[in-house]
Amino acid sequence: MVLEETVHPYYLRKHNILSKAYINGTGCISPQNTIDSDWFFDSINPAKGDYFDAIEPSYKEFIAPNLLRRMGRAIKMGVAAANIAIQQAETQKVDAIITGTGLGCFEDSERFLLAMLNNDEQFLTPTSFIQSTHNTVGSQIALIMKCHDYNFTYVHRGFSFESTLQDALMLFEEGKETILIGGIEEHTPNFIILNRKALKFQEVLTDRPIWKSSTPGIQMSEGTAFFVLNKTKTSKSLASVDGIQTLYKPKTAADILNKLVAFLKLRDLSLSDIDVTLMGFSSDVNFDSKLQELLPAIEEETVAACYKNVCGEYHTASAFAMWVATKIIEKQKLPKVLMISDKEPDSIKNVLIINQYLGINYSFTLLSQC
Amino acid sequence: MSQKIYITGLGMISAIGNNVPESFLSLSQSKTGIGKINHLTTRYKDEFLAGEIKLSNSDLADLVKDNNPALNRNSYIAMLAAKEAVINSGIDTNDGLRTGVISSTTVAGMGKTELYYKELFEKDDHLDVLDTHDCGDSTERIADYLGNVDYVTTISTACSSAANAIMLGCRMIKHGQLDRVVVGGVDALSKFTFNGFNTLMILDREWCKPFDENRKGLNLGEGAAFVVLEGENALNLRKGKPLAEVAGYANANDAYHQTASSPEGYGATLAIKQALTMSGLKTDQIDYINMHGTGTPNNDLSESMATVAVFGKQVPKFSSTKAFTGHTLAAAASIEAVISVLSLQNSMIFPNLNFTTPIADMNLIPETKLVNTPLNIILSNSFGFGGNCSSLLFKKA
Repeated sequence: MVLEETVHPYYLRKHNILSKAYINGTGCISPQNTIDSDWFFDSINPAKGDYFDAIEPSYKEFIAPNLLRRMGRAIKMGVAAANIAIQQAETQKVDAIITGTGLGCFEDSERFLLAMLNNDEQFLTPTSFIQSTHNTVGSQIALIMKCHDYNFTYVHRGFSFESTLQDALMLFEEGKETILIGGIEEHTPNFIILNRKALKFQEVLTDRPIWKSSTPGIQMSEGTAFFVLNKTKTSKSLASVDGIQTLYKPKTAADILNKLVAFLKLRDLSLSDIDVTLMGFSSDVNFDSKLQELLPAIEEETVAACYKNVCGEYHTASAFAMWVATKIIEKQKLPKVLMISDKEPDSIKNVLIINQYLGINYSFTLLSQC
Repeated sequence: MSQKIYITGLGMISAIGNNVPESFLSLSQSKTGIGKINHLTTRYKDEFLAGEIKLSNSDLADLVKDNNPALNRNSYIAMLAAKEAVINSGIDTNDGLRTGVISSTTVAGMGKTELYYKELFEKDDHLDVLDTHDCGDSTERIADYLGNVDYVTTISTACSSAANAIMLGCRMIKHGQLDRVVVGGVDALSKFTFNGFNTLMILDREWCKPFDENRKGLNLGEGAAFVVLEGENALNLRKGKPLAEVAGYANANDAYHQTASSPEGYGATLAIKQALTMSGLKTDQIDYINMHGTGTPNNDLSESMATVAVFGKQVPKFSSTKAFTGHTLAAAASIEAVISVLSLQNSMIFPNLNFTTPIADMNLIPETKLVNTPLNIILSNSFGFGGNCSSLLFKKA
């Protein structure tokens, strides 16, 4: 691939780079046993054929029973993961709550929709409508924490979680100290049935790794990951977030590589400084083709790895990837099940995530040891 | 961080007009767009009023000049309003500067999903609604319709959504992440939202009466509005002309209840105060407030309390324009941003229709007739479910 110097004159201005932030706590609910803080890819739950279900914790530990009774699954997963992240960071107060979700509280939306359709718009109760709004998780957390500060919810497909991170980095420059961000996604049995009918799924064949898929179809999944970010490094800091950039509909793999090189150059890095690159292969060849084309260039300079083979595909899978990146840095080990490259990294200082969603929404997230 | 942010283009479609000039005409003639329901399919068609856009989906397809069957009403109106804003501003998205689209919606593709959902399980005809149901769909349609867009994202914070899109757009430019950005919101009417608000029992069967003692609730509306925001660097580079300046903004959370506002309007007070602090403006410099004023008993009382908490006895002239457009949810704040800029440009306060009796003990009286008066600074409020409160300040350019 030929690299071109096509960056805009404004693009290389130093003030465009947002300062790094520190991850002080994480909470993750996923198809794997991520709720257990000691778990580190020692045993892996396979997909249920063509989709994954999240392993949900016993919520009583995290949510008061009177609240729990009414909450939909996305809200429960979100509030619990936020709670775990806050406990780990040992913080009582956050200055902003920012959530990202592609489909929001889908279960409640569907419940209200079906009740409306089945009863010809009669005998409806408001609870599921109230909880169907996309900002429900963020506002429930604000209610529980009595947080009157900044509260935002992003709902843009494969940029939903990326937008929370971008926003947090800007808020730190505006003076905020501690920010809670998270990605949330839930699926429902009907949603799985319909997507299967629309031929969006496939059962990944065991003889072919996820990064070598030659057929269309993803493995639909769900999950939530929350992070307590801090403006300054503290004794609790697990890793730093050094940058985030989204790419909307890049035309070619070379286009992605050009942007990646520029993204790293702005931070005085090159690809060879990256120890591990987590790549968002989804098993759908149509969506993965640019990453497949990019893989040799990545493998030449860094150790390539994947994550959707263990978490499946969903709008905010990049939040799971950031949880994995944090864990890899903390443990200084790249689990075998994620490895694409044969070689193991010598030490793990810089971890890059290249996520893609439907081959339309791409993002770079850079994390470092701190 | 000190770059000034200007509004340089306006686009809007709602019950009061299919574009900005039509909307201005309705506003200056005190002509509401709320009336009998024609386009929405609901058993309550004859029992409630709504602020519908007066065009069918096929009329909209003709205007957009795109018959792609995947497009839904939300996308059509978003594309039209965003394009109008871009043409109005005179920016060229092919000139190499970084352009973003930040949109917001609550209903997204639900208006189409609800038509075919049950059928999806039996037939294969409309499976494309699975791709267009989510909030990001209309935003990407806008981006592709405009062409050469570098950044897209979508916000959903209920009825304050578009205010947050405007706020994020300003911040993205100030932080040097974008040079200019098309920001706003869109919500087409759907049976889902209509029934949702009906179960909450906050719909008025008559014309809504914001800030009236006898107000019974809101009228739902539909619409899309976008503005082009440019940093002063990008604007100077092309020697463009500003329409208004975004002088301040703030986002706070009421953290009181999932749907209701706190009686004292705590979150609203915080948002207004923080926007004022950021702008460096004093309360006596505010010439007019475009209120959230939905017409529900809860919102209007809470907002009145917040207004008094901030302004004391010197409450500026104010009105809610929701009796013109209906409550357009995610689009409300951008529709009201366009209306605020029209107010600044034309030195006009558009009236609070249907008001007769002030809320007991508050004694706040909105402007009920068109007022011609010079305006320099306008405050615009937007509050939503989940306690999301945002305030914006617009300054004459």
